[in-house]
Amino acid sequence: MPDSQTIESATTALATRTPQPDTKTRRYDRQLRLWAASGQAALESARVLVISGSATSTSILKNLVLPGIGHFTILDHERVSPADAGNNFFLEGQSSVGKFRAEEAVRLLRELNDGVEGKADTRIIEQVLDNDPAFITSFSLVIAHNLNENTVARIAKLLWEDETYPSFVVVRSSGFLAEFSIQFHEHTVIESHSETAPTLRIDKPFPALLEYANSLDFTNMDPTEHSHIPYVVILVRVLEDWKKSHNGAAPKTYEEKKEFKKTITAMKVKVDEENFDEAEAQAYRCWTESSVPSEIAALFQDPKAFSAASSSSSTSPFFALLAALRAFTVQHDPPQVLPLSATLPDMKSNTVNYVHLQTLYKKRAEEEKAQFKKYLALSGGAGIDDALIDSFVKNAHALKLLRGRQWTSVHSSAETLGNSMAMNSKHVSTHLALASLSSLQAKQADTKVTTEALTAEAATLLPSGLELPEEWDEAAGEIARSPNADLPNMAALLGGLVAQEVIKMITKQYVPINGYCVVDLIEMWTGVVG
Amino acid sequence: MLINEAGARNLRDSAPRRPGFLSSERILSILTGLPLRIESTRRCRRCWWPENWRTLDCAMTVPLKELSKAYVRIAIELVADGDVAEALTQLFLQSTMATSSTQQSGQDWDGRYYHVDQILDVPGPRTDPSFSPGDTVKDFLRNQCKILVIGAGGLGCEILANLALSGFKDIHVIDMDTIDISNLNRQFLFRPKDVGKPKAIVAAEFIMNRVPGVKVSPYYGKIQDKDDDYYLQFNLIICGLDSVEARRWINATLVNLVDPENPESLKPLIDGGTEGFKGQARVILPTITSCYECSLDMLNKPTAFPICTIANTPRLPEHCIEWASVLEWPRVHGDKKMDTDDPEHITWLYEQAAARATNFKIEGVTWSLTQGVVKNIIPAIASTNAIIAASCCNEAFKIATSSAAYLNNYFMLIGTDGVYSYTFEHEKRDDCPVCGGEALDLTINSELLVEQLIELLVEKQDIQIKKPSLSSGSTHIYFQAPPQLEEATRPNLGKKVSELVSSGGEITVTSTSLPFSLSLRITYS
Repeated sequence: MPDSQTIESATTALATRTPQPDTKTRRYDRQLRLWAASGQAALESARVLVISGSATSTSILKNLVLPGIGHFTILDHERVSPADAGNNFFLEGQSSVGKFRAEEAVRLLRELNDGVEGKADTRIIEQVLDNDPAFITSFSLVIAHNLNENTVARIAKLLWEDETYPSFVVVRSSGFLAEFSIQFHEHTVIESHSETAPTLRIDKPFPALLEYANSLDFTNMDPTEHSHIPYVVILVRVLEDWKKSHNGAAPKTYEEKKEFKKTITAMKVKVDEENFDEAEAQAYRCWTESSVPSEIAALFQDPKAFSAASSSSSTSPFFALLAALRAFTVQHDPPQVLPLSATLPDMKSNTVNYVHLQTLYKKRAEEEKAQFKKYLALSGGAGIDDALIDSFVKNAHALKLLRGRQWTSVHSSAETLGNSMAMNSKHVSTHLALASLSSLQAKQADTKVTTEALTAEAATLLPSGLELPEEWDEAAGEIARSPNADLPNMAALLGGLVAQEVIKMITKQYVPINGYCVVDLIEMWTGVVG
Repeated sequence: MLINEAGARNLRDSAPRRPGFLSSERILSILTGLPLRIESTRRCRRCWWPENWRTLDCAMTVPLKELSKAYVRIAIELVADGDVAEALTQLFLQSTMATSSTQQSGQDWDGRYYHVDQILDVPGPRTDPSFSPGDTVKDFLRNQCKILVIGAGGLGCEILANLALSGFKDIHVIDMDTIDISNLNRQFLFRPKDVGKPKAIVAAEFIMNRVPGVKVSPYYGKIQDKDDDYYLQFNLIICGLDSVEARRWINATLVNLVDPENPESLKPLIDGGTEGFKGQARVILPTITSCYECSLDMLNKPTAFPICTIANTPRLPEHCIEWASVLEWPRVHGDKKMDTDDPEHITWLYEQAAARATNFKIEGVTWSLTQGVVKNIIPAIASTNAIIAASCCNEAFKIATSSAAYLNNYFMLIGTDGVYSYTFEHEKRDDCPVCGGEALDLTINSELLVEQLIELLVEKQDIQIKKPSLSSGSTHIYFQAPPQLEEATRPNLGKKVSELVSSGGEITVTSTSLPFSLSLRITYS
């Protein structure tokens, strides 16, 4: 590559080659390897509203503009103060002082990515709430940083009114301490990037697999071929033979399992047959029943999975797919299994045998998917996109469904708070101290923040029956030290943490926090209350 | 090229707010109003000026500020003649001086550090009594502390911005890379127009323009170019690297730098790393806490496919790609080196791999997968880098100011499922080859051959040494270089280790990739 070149000259040379990715794909390469085109498309169609142009707010936005969020608006009526000019990277020092904070920040944030639309709105949030609430509900997600608690409560109430309204991320920070929470109606995950592999169904082999395993003559096989039979096939065959002599049952007791493994080892014709070593190591698959994972079975009980067929089109396709999945697990033969996955892990084998096995799995997976689609049509999902169905079936073993709560300043459940206190009282101390600060400042913005004032406020916030945690003075004392500090490092850290959560909410590929994420930069820890 | 009035105005308006560093392209494009491209040529690693253009010696002794001014003059002479050049130079220098003097007085405007000062003016309940709040700590942070940032990439860009806003004003940055388009999704100091330019220089220039009064001194080159005296000048070092080898080098260098007689020689090292939604930050006090080498066994083992699978029984698309890069490239191209940054090379590998995959009926070879496998690409996003860089800078700030205790000593974060983090003390290893002092015990079979021992050392997770050379006392067991010594010691490869070293004897292992030697105490089973 030449030392210096324009992006145009760098890309025109490459554009003529078909297999090479285009400029946009190359720009986003390192993130596409995480959330793929589907996640990127979700990001690019998302619209985010951020209330205030503080250092923390612009740090969050930076991490959303860079990966290519569709649109962002900063709502902030304040003008840049000398203090803002000192702690916010998206202001230009003293030359920004006196200008609208929203306008300066939007201008500098937009420089990060041509593909992102950014707007500054200099109205006062309370007036927007009074006169134009539809503006707020028109976004896909709303974020507020260090906003007056009464205003936060008003926004939270508005956005809780309808389940199609945007999620709401509330961030508060004070010096070395901070927390944030997300108010969301529900969050469903299909492409969950699960590290658990779906079952290979060795214990319940489909007919073509069983037939293939039975067709092999291990004793008279060519020795090279013998060392290239995939372990899946070996196990299916050994299990089938075992069942014949054990009244159709798989090994159960420790002794039986040991004997089963010995049978596998005894089949070796040479000591170094690694496929048989693999079969022995994977033998547990023969007595681990392939069934519907309990987490997925629990989802089947969700009321929405029952109403999917009859409800309006506004219901997310997730529930129609879930209803179809439940029908599949009841009516399919064998029952109580999820549709077969076509993904085969790597294993010792020659190419021909491996590809053959892969073909058997793929064919069967296609057949089961076709059956799944029949149930889907019956559960009101006839119009669902094929790519989404493929993805759903592929990830059926690791689906996620989360239900959120309406925002409250302090966790609304006394029981959860009590439990959190028993588990890690430092987390609860920080959560309470930040809530006490918000509460104090909502009453009087320029109030003198002291440990005593915070302690008195905390007493009014704490559910009855609970006492202030042991580390209270440390958290409250730290807040009293620097109540209004939006530290550059804390702003940057929250910028990263909150942006990660927003990306999870928007791409629907990862699991966001459910509760209050608390941060302490003195001892350098994070925790979750709730 | 003739320069017109508009060009002169551009130059004046674009003059940096403080006299800092201007790259050659920048000066010339400002002057001419044209985007300028300099054809590939050797460049000075420090100032990025084409070497055959330079008339000044760009040595460490010349302040970059002066150098920059001199180059402005040269640049102007290149595009204008005689009197015009003189006038332009004066104009330029006046404008930089003028802005510089106003900046000087206004650098620390009232209220600039309103946020940070809340921390520096008062101790908190957990602050160590040694903290001296107020002017003393602010003076040290803003006027005396000198910090080195290694890496100006994903973490480096974030680190530089955080340090500058926190009040560090003398920042140095080293990076040997140039900007690639795939950096732009997270390395927020770079723009499409910067592709191909050195990261360290562009990042330094951006920070100095954005945060007035902060000096960032870039070095475009390798950390190995610098000697002990260079590293001794800093109070703190932060690493945002993507290479295990570079981390091992700087870690071992800083451990070796520690002189028990001189407490100033102990340089705290803060290290960060990320992968997708995961990351870690740690504080290393060389010789006192666990060092990078102590935790080498925590690294994930790189995926390696057996050569026979690649050659004979491919099953996965990755096997076909490995075949193309490991076996087919050298067969077809001989000694020509494969450059994984060259898209043409990746395309060639992709085509070979795709053809092999079709032959074997294997699906899934794509250009992007080919690039991912041969470059060992690790996914990276802005948000995770922001978290880890902020953690590192927060530690640097706490260590520099004593305003709060620092991390003891390891923080790790997993953001895929909620926010999960774990803070713990990683233990120092007594047999750490860098900071432990004790020899590492290794029990081997008495039949083991020297070449097998070498293979074992390369693969062993807590050693990971490339091309090791072995000696025992005055006996050369095997040396990788120079060629004469390699040839002389080659016959030993086929000998049993037990023939050359007695039980309980020590073997010294060295490698050019590591700045330290490893002592193994051998016993036989």
